[in-house]
Amino acid sequence: MNAASGRWRRWAVKLVQHAAGVLPRTPSPWADAMQRELAYIEDDPAAVRWALGCVLASYKVRLTHWPRGSSAVVWRHVATGGALMLMIGLALQDHAGGQTAPPRLAVDEAACNSPDVSTELGSGTAVGVRRNDDSPGAGDPRSDCNDPSPAKDADTPSSR
Amino acid sequence: MPRKPNNSRQARALLAALLERSRTWRHGYDLSKETGLRSGTLYPLLMRLSEQGLLESRWEEPERPGLPPRHVYRLTASGLALARQQELEAIAAERAGALA
Repeated sequence: MNAASGRWRRWAVKLVQHAAGVLPRTPSPWADAMQRELAYIEDDPAAVRWALGCVLASYKVRLTHWPRGSSAVVWRHVATGGALMLMIGLALQDHAGGQTAPPRLAVDEAACNSPDVSTELGSGTAVGVRRNDDSPGAGDPRSDCNDPSPAKDADTPSSR
Repeated sequence: MPRKPNNSRQARALLAALLERSRTWRHGYDLSKETGLRSGTLYPLLMRLSEQGLLESRWEEPERPGLPPRHVYRLTASGLALARQQELEAIAAERAGALA
């Protein structure tokens, strides 16, 4: 059993113990039944799910016996249960490494765009024409990118 | 029209599972796996059936050493009668649905 497994098992035991405390007329055979059943569930996530269900079951049963119990006692149990579930939620978040968004792409898409090249069929020569030539520096080649444009070495009509 | 007791889908699933092997003592986790009911639904149902005298329970000694005794359940005579009645009603409803 590794550390994480032991931790989940401890959480499950704590939850079922809490469920047992919530049940009316404790010690109840049902509380023992739920607690002992946990020992037969080998899968840790299943044990935690089982324990959470036991907490829910105990609150359901407690609420059906509401007139017999003091409301202060019930609310104390509700607060304890809420705190336990909050801690489990936080533990789960830690387990996920705080990851809230999918990983970003390793490639920086903005760094090197594919060249803006349009072909013009003129005298059998492909001529590269940069778009958005109005903006300043639009025609300047980027120093960090190799411009694979075929127009680089092409003989343009103006140079003739 | 008043709702019939123990006639919810979950209660019927549990009674059907208990009826299927009516002589066998069943564990809570096994019943949960067989019926698909979570412990949060299963235990309140088991407790209610027990309070109504439809279910009997006892502690069973563990098969392997080191494990605690286990609570096991089976239907009483009145529980069996209710489960059989519900089974017949389900069959009748199924036939009526097939004819319609």
